[in-house]
Formats: sequence, C-alpha cells, structure tokens
Amino acid sequence: MHEQRLQVRGMTVRRAERRVVDNVDLDVARGQIVSVSGPSGCGKSTLLRGLARLEPASGSVLLDGSDAASIPFADYRRRVSLVFQESPMFEGTVADNIRFGPALRGESLDDERVRDLLRSLSLEPDMAVRDAHELSGGERQRVALARAIANDPDVLLLDEPTSALDPAATDEVLAQIARVAERGLSVVAVLHVEAQARVLSDTRYRMKSGRLELEAA
Amino acid sequence: MSYVEIPWIRLLGAALLVVLAILLSWKQKLGLGVDLVVGAVRAAVQLIAIGFVLVLLFNSEQPWLTLLALFVMMSVAAWTASRRVRHGPGWKALTPRAFVAIGVGFAVALLPVLAWVIPVRPLLSARYAIPIGGMVLATGMNTVTLVLERVFANAHQRGSLIEQALALGATPAQAMAPMQREAVRAAMLPSINALLTLGLVQLPGMMTGQILSGTDPTHAVRYQLVIMYQLVAVAAVAGAIAAWMARRALFDEGARLRTFSPAKKR
Repeated sequence: MHEQRLQVRGMTVRRAERRVVDNVDLDVARGQIVSVSGPSGCGKSTLLRGLARLEPASGSVLLDGSDAASIPFADYRRRVSLVFQESPMFEGTVADNIRFGPALRGESLDDERVRDLLRSLSLEPDMAVRDAHELSGGERQRVALARAIANDPDVLLLDEPTSALDPAATDEVLAQIARVAERGLSVVAVLHVEAQARVLSDTRYRMKSGRLELEAA
Repeated sequence: MSYVEIPWIRLLGAALLVVLAILLSWKQKLGLGVDLVVGAVRAAVQLIAIGFVLVLLFNSEQPWLTLLALFVMMSVAAWTASRRVRHGPGWKALTPRAFVAIGVGFAVALLPVLAWVIPVRPLLSARYAIPIGGMVLATGMNTVTLVLERVFANAHQRGSLIEQALALGATPAQAMAPMQREAVRAAMLPSINALLTLGLVQLPGMMTGQILSGTDPTHAVRYQLVIMYQLVAVAAVAGAIAAWMARRALFDEGARLRTFSPAKKR
C-alpha cells in the first residue's frame, strides 16, 4: 500500500447552523486519485476548500504525517493546491500565470518548462505569450491546471476540472491527471460525470448532505 | 496687518448666493434645496463656532489645549473617513485604524515642519499648529477614505482572484499587493495633481488668505509650498498605513479572506 499523504479526520465545515461538510474522514495516499461525486449543493466544493484551508473547518488534517495546523498556511496551500472550477486568471500572459506560484517563492520557470506544461494539456505552446484574459473557458481551465502543476504541489484538489472542455480535451486532461499521479502526485477530484470518475480514480466517494460515503475502492 | 473687514450684515448678503443656488435647484427640480439650506447653515455655525474656539486657543497659548483640539479634529477625521467605507467591517472597527493611519501621517508631516522649517516656539503654538494641522488632517482623511474604500471594494469585487493567489501559496500580503498599490496610487493622485498645477490652475486657500490679510506674496508662497509638501507626505504615509491596516482586517487568523456585507450608502 502507498504511504499516506493526506489523512483527514472529522472535518466539519459549518455555515450558520448548517453543517455543509459533516464529519468527513478521508485518506489519500501518495499517487492515489480519489474522486468525489454527488448532487449540486451537497458540499463537494466546500470540502475541497476545507482541504485547502480556505474555509474554517474543525477536525484534523495530517499532511505527510505532520499536523496541518503546524504548517504555515502559505506553505500548506502550495503543497495542497486547489484548482477552482472557474479559475480566474491574473494580469499578464499565460506564461505569467503559469509562473505565478514559483514566482511567489522567488523561483522562475524557463520557457521550455512552460511550453511543456501547455503541451501536456494539449494546448498550443505558442499560447504562452497570449493575454490570459483572452482565453476561452476551456483554455482557461487547462491553463489553471498547468498553473497548479507548475507550482509543484503534493496534492492536487480539482473542482470539476473538465466541466468546460469538449470530449477530446477532456480525455487529454484526464490523461494528464493520471500521468502526474503516476509520478507521485495525489489527487482529489470532484467529478460530475460518473464515467470519468470510474476511468480516472482509484477510490470513489459519493457525497450526500455533507457526508462522504465510500462508493468503490 | 491691512485687510478689509467683512461686517456681519454683508456676510448675510453673501448668503444670497446660496439662495440663488436654492432657487436654481427648485427651478430645475434637483431636490437639493434642503441639503443646500442645511449645508449653508451648518457651515456658518461650524465656522463661527471654530472662530471663537480659535480666539480662545490663540489667547491661552496652552500646548495641552492645542493638543486636545488636534485630538478632537483627528477623531472627527478618523470617524468621517471610516463611515464612508461601504465594503469594510463597519465604521466601529475602522475608526481606530483610520485614527492611527491619519495620526501617524499627521505627525510625520507636521512635527518636523514646526520644529525646523517654520521654527515656531512653543512647538505646538495654536496659531500655527491648528490651521496647518487642519489642512494636513483633511488631506489625511480624504486619502484614508479613498484607500479604505478602494481596498475593501476591490477585495469584494475581486475576491476570487485573491483566493486564487492564496490557493497557489501566496501570503495575504502577496495576494493583496497589487490592489494595495493601486489604492494608494489612486488616493495620492489628487495631491500630486495639486502639486503639478499649483499657481497655474489654482491659488491655494492658505496663500490666498495670507495675501488678503496683507502678507507679502513672496512670503505667502513659501508657506504654501511647505504646506503642499506636507500634504504629499501625509497622503503617502496615511495611505500606506491605511492600505496595510485594511489588508490586516481582510484576513482572519487562518489567512482566509473575510467577506463583509456592504453597508448602507451614507
């Protein structure tokens, strides 16, 4: 069995009196792909936000065996990176966006690495010089994924990563997610298409009114 | 000093200009009549009252009285700056922050000038500290209002962009840096514009007042220049502190972006 990368115990996210995420336990091993599906409003996106520590949550999270509470927020979020369903682009070019995360730490990505990342998500390498605000929804979604991967995370949290993609692009993106997982990156993906969840993930969960139920392992 | 005194009765005559504005408002159905009456009466009451307070302060020359007056002025400025902010945590939370931002900017812009540039003794001589301090405070107040409103409004409108930066490992300072810069820059523009057009577009109030009261214009312009440099300094310092404080208020202890519901328009 793989070593555990993320261990979540009793995670609860409250909004007003409502438990949007209710006492969730979740283990994600190194290189494992976990999918979460469920009806709209059941708490899937909030679970990802809680895992990224963008939402106040009770319970405990261990990252590579260390208590998440002891890891500085910025470091933790670099290592457990959330890609939103509608990821906004920063000012500048596509390359500027892909370089955003490393630049925060004073690191830079060379042009070839940027082009490789674009290629791996079946985007034209020449797109690197385009204004990021001129991208279509599907292109933006893939650039957002490239931007997260460029940041060298340990865990990737993906909120409906294929929702704006056509079937061909969807296959490419799912293949790329599988490839990065083979290299040891752990993935928790909210997927609304059952078939995608079956093809992509090692373990499937279903979320219902904030509670996580194991569907298949 | 040689100047033409305005008798009270003639001052009342000047109020006819406001009556003219009220008539125009009524004719054009602007609905500003009540505001104009309240504004004109309030301005008269405030200024006449402050005239008597200044006479008291100038005659007593007690530094603690000057300090008290400056403290009251600063408190009103901080409260006014805070209650104009629509997208923030509310005026109660913002007023102490605005007070610190305006207060530090005020101290930086005023004290060295009174100590060395206009070497007035005692340092807090009411005749100098109150009018010059008032101008510095007004600019500090306007800058802080603009910075707070802009930072909070930006965070409200571009919250998803801030969260995106956080999700990639940015600290709140990194995530907010472009918006803070933008807010301080925009708030400083009026002070810079005033500096650039000084003497070409406007003859500022203090210089005009000094000239009217008989001061040699070549001396009056020196005072005005000092004031303009002070205004740029207070805008820069108060603006930067206000932006920093706004950012601190925007994030909780978990470096998560807070959301505030917009306050009613004032």
